[in-house]
Amino acid sequence: MSEIFSTAPAIVLFPLASFLIILAFGKWMPYRGALAGIVATGFSLAVSIWVALQMALDGAGPYQETLYEFIAGLEGEGVTLTFGVLFDPLSVLMLIIVSLIAFLVHVFSLGYMNDEGETGLPRYYASLSLFTFSMLAFVVSDNLLMAFVFFELVGLCSYLLIGFWFRRDGPPSAAKKAFLVTRFGDYFFLVGVVAVFAVFGTTAYAGENSFINQAADMVGDGTEYTFLNLSSQQVIDITALLILGGAIGKSAQFPLHTWLPDAMEGPTPVSALIHAATMVAAGVYLVARMYGFYALSPNVLAILALLGGFTALFAATMALVKQELKQVLAYSTISQYGYMMLALGGGGYVAAVFHLTTHAIFKALLFLGAGAVIIAMHHEENMWEMGGLKDKMRVTYLTFLAGSLALAGIFPFAGFWSKDEALFETLEHALGGADVLFVAYGFGLLAVIVTAFYTFRMVFLTFHGEPRTANAEDPHSIGWNMKFPLVVLGIGSVLAGALNMGVIKEFIGENNLFLAEWLDGATIGDEYGTAEFALSYGHYGDLLSEYAGYEAATLSPLGPGAIALGLAVIGLGVAWYLYRAPEPEPHMTKLGGVRTVLMNNYYQDEAQVWFATGFTLPIARGANTFDQGIIDGLVDAAGGVSMYAGERFRKIQTGIVSNYAALLTLGLLLLLVWLGIDGGWWF
Amino acid sequence: MTEFILQEWTALAPPIVLAITALFLLVVDALAPEDENAAIWIAGVSGVGTLLTLLITGWFLVAGTGQPREGEPANAGAITLFNENIVVDGMALFFIAIIASVTLLVIIASYDYLKDHPYQAEYYTLTLLAATGMAMVAVSNSFVVAFISIELASLPSYALVASLKHNRGSVEGGLKYFLIGALSSGILIYGISLIYVATGSLQFGAVTEAIVEGDITGGNGILGIGILMILAGFGFKIAAVPFHFWAPEAYEGAPAPISGFLSSASKAAGFVITFRVFVDVFPIGAVGDTVDWIVAFQVLAIVTMTVANFAALKQTNVKRMLAYSSIGHAGYVLIALAALTGGNQAFILGSGMAHLFVYGFMNTGAFLVIALVEYWGVGRRIEDYNGLATQAPFAAAAMSLFLFTLAGLPLGGGFLSKFYLLWASIEGGVALLAIALIVNSAVSLYYYTRVVKAMWVEEPSESLEITSYPVGLYTAIALAALVTVLLLPGFGFVVEYAQTAAEMITPP
Repeated sequence: MSEIFSTAPAIVLFPLASFLIILAFGKWMPYRGALAGIVATGFSLAVSIWVALQMALDGAGPYQETLYEFIAGLEGEGVTLTFGVLFDPLSVLMLIIVSLIAFLVHVFSLGYMNDEGETGLPRYYASLSLFTFSMLAFVVSDNLLMAFVFFELVGLCSYLLIGFWFRRDGPPSAAKKAFLVTRFGDYFFLVGVVAVFAVFGTTAYAGENSFINQAADMVGDGTEYTFLNLSSQQVIDITALLILGGAIGKSAQFPLHTWLPDAMEGPTPVSALIHAATMVAAGVYLVARMYGFYALSPNVLAILALLGGFTALFAATMALVKQELKQVLAYSTISQYGYMMLALGGGGYVAAVFHLTTHAIFKALLFLGAGAVIIAMHHEENMWEMGGLKDKMRVTYLTFLAGSLALAGIFPFAGFWSKDEALFETLEHALGGADVLFVAYGFGLLAVIVTAFYTFRMVFLTFHGEPRTANAEDPHSIGWNMKFPLVVLGIGSVLAGALNMGVIKEFIGENNLFLAEWLDGATIGDEYGTAEFALSYGHYGDLLSEYAGYEAATLSPLGPGAIALGLAVIGLGVAWYLYRAPEPEPHMTKLGGVRTVLMNNYYQDEAQVWFATGFTLPIARGANTFDQGIIDGLVDAAGGVSMYAGERFRKIQTGIVSNYAALLTLGLLLLLVWLGIDGGWWF
Repeated sequence: MTEFILQEWTALAPPIVLAITALFLLVVDALAPEDENAAIWIAGVSGVGTLLTLLITGWFLVAGTGQPREGEPANAGAITLFNENIVVDGMALFFIAIIASVTLLVIIASYDYLKDHPYQAEYYTLTLLAATGMAMVAVSNSFVVAFISIELASLPSYALVASLKHNRGSVEGGLKYFLIGALSSGILIYGISLIYVATGSLQFGAVTEAIVEGDITGGNGILGIGILMILAGFGFKIAAVPFHFWAPEAYEGAPAPISGFLSSASKAAGFVITFRVFVDVFPIGAVGDTVDWIVAFQVLAIVTMTVANFAALKQTNVKRMLAYSSIGHAGYVLIALAALTGGNQAFILGSGMAHLFVYGFMNTGAFLVIALVEYWGVGRRIEDYNGLATQAPFAAAAMSLFLFTLAGLPLGGGFLSKFYLLWASIEGGVALLAIALIVNSAVSLYYYTRVVKAMWVEEPSESLEITSYPVGLYTAIALAALVTVLLLPGFGFVVEYAQTAAEMITPP
């Protein structure tokens, strides 16, 4: 059984190998390294699927192994730092998502980058491979520190790829912004990792001694923690919030979401892979990975739910007025990750993972579709310059439509099932007594209308009506290498909902909610839910009801499902009503001042710039003055005094030997008198 | 394999070999042909004799001569000769190893340095006689032997410093050295006579016995003055402030190999007798009420470090700067005595001994690079070293290594030995010494770096031209550099011997 898992780390290593090969030989390789990347991610995908099949059909796993110990702690005390792998239903599902999207994006890049004659391709493909490697390694990490290391590495790759066209003005600046803003969140994450080490002595996710299990015991015992007189509950709350800082930055949640729209300066396939489907998911994945820890803390769960719900609505409103295709998608991405956070906070572990999965598929599809449109439009991104593309780009239109229906949450497309699941789980626990979730649920419902509206505004403006420019009249044709990924993802957007048709579970039976069963470890060893691993959905449910007080109310999922669908249809209908005309009016301008606020993203960039220049900079100036004046002054003074003393001491050496003899004798006399008195020779 | 046991007197082989070599040199000088080959013969004989001494000493150390065998108590095993007036123990052998190593490096380097020197045989003979005296200092077990040995080491040194007869600095330095030396010898012998008055003996064991049993004539004053005068006499040998005044001028004026010889080997000899006399002969437990010599050494250590390092800051002459640096290092080593207030005494004393070992190589190496620069006739000021790395990268690299290691950067063994001294001052619980050590090391880094900066960063002056690369000097520098670097990984080995030796004389 374990021999699959001895091969499984290869999933991670294929892209590393291709990274090294492309780095060394990229210039001389066919398609400038694209092929190596495709082969590597293809292998990763194949092995991931194989592992998943073994787990689903043969009951292999779960499996955890420490591969490399780079700092050995003292026996019995101190911490040991290790690299290891954890293969369980959650990580294997994520492996498939990441390697699938990475594979398709590599193929798509052939059309988007190679066919367009871009330069610097080896750098592009090397970065993509490095990203894939880092992301896969992050996914299989078996401890928080290792996760942090690769969390940072994917951040680095994101920086490299956003700034790929570094000779233009926008990309380098966007890359820096993305790097700095996410680093701000990661700073808290790092402190959180150290806090976990300090409190629990380990950062392992799995095993009887994992920090998650220890935390549960700690809350159960009600141990007082000596540091700052915090109770164990407070320690866990604070630690969970610190780690959440990293997740908020990476998953672009309010208020650290501002980097993601700017990140669209990168090549569109990169946006699809990194800034829609995978890296941005790392934050949500991180919370899901250690969900047992968050389940112990009702306060943090409430914060998570409110933050997620708010972000979902807030980002969706900004997407309403955007004119550029990728900008709409970027705000939509922020909004959708808000739903996942909402689900996690609302006790919907499966819902969050489900939405993560379907979103990865349909949002990657939408970005790649946008990429196809952008190529067709000769790199024009403004939707008002498009129109009428649906007949000229049939494949793109149909797949994009499938993705849009999924995003809007229209039955029976993938997004409908998963978004509804997220909302339903939240409502269920809200009715069960967690009142704060009603607010979060309200945000989520409102966002459904907005989402459906902006999605179809985008579809109508881009594909329907009359062509509004010459480019739209005569779009560039796109090749198979761009159509193939679109078709694969399009099919996925239609069918992925079948994984977990929660809305109709009363008809198909609980046992046919495949994803819930999968995450509960129904296909694998029993140890998944017991203390030995303690990572199963069922176990999280127990923790939620025991520690967070989340009880599920008895409620049929049909009603809420119908509400959500109804709202989505309303949004879609409004968009159809306003933008179906052959020459649609820019209705959003009627919003006046509101539109200005939305176009400027609620002035958050300005607020952040003010924070940097109005708050941080004066403090930094003050610190600098202190350093230059006081610290350097002290140092200079020490130097000056030393030099002065040196000059004096140097002059003791007069060069006159009788002075020396006198001083020598005097020194001896001083010693004699002093020690003589001290030793009591005469008294 | 049957164990063969040499006669006990053979334990004295190292100084004997040195002395015989010195005398044999005079014969060689008389017989050797009067041409340029004479220099090779003379230097060769000196080198072989010294190498033999070093090998014998090393063999003794490894074989355990004069050291406790397995199962014996830590203070057993010393070999005593001539009614216990001579002792060969771990500490004696350890210091003879230092002295012989330094002498060997100096002899190898001198071959080139003395190229046109008219009195080569005399130079080597005097060097070897001084080395003999130093080795005898290490083995002396009575004040008479100690005093005679010190004189044997000192008198040739005066002549060696002045051996560049047409160089004013050399002659002046030699004369000053001699005058201060005469004064110090007077103080020392006066102190010894007072000890004789107080205890009725000159043999170390008998003196200790009299002190411990309270069998003192003339009251504590006589004994106390005697001890302090001896301290002053030894202070002259180790060049501790305020007994150091001869050092800057003598080191600056002397031929550079001799500066290295005096500041390394002669200082080591001064320290071995200081360690032995104060730790073993005047144990603080017995004389502490009369003379608290630990406090005296604390003052001397701090004053020596501070005055020397700060005075070095403003020096413009590299050789003189290094002279001050070597005085400063005496201050560091004095920690080994000044921190003996408690804790593991063998560890504290051993740290000082180990530092002297490392110092023997790094300090001699630095002076040998100066010898090389003098050989080239480049000049002695720091500016004259500008851009040296462009023409002599190896020498510049070696000099940088020596200087940085002297400062205590982890490029060579000097880092670890200084770290051990710091540890020792904490072990002894004397925080002030630790602070002084750190502050002075920081100060020293400044002036060492000035030289390194001159060699690597500054532009060379137009007149800087180096035409020859003398084999002997380069060999000696390379050997010193190699050992200095190897002492970083191999320091544990040295410090183990040092602590074993220290255990033999420290109270358990």
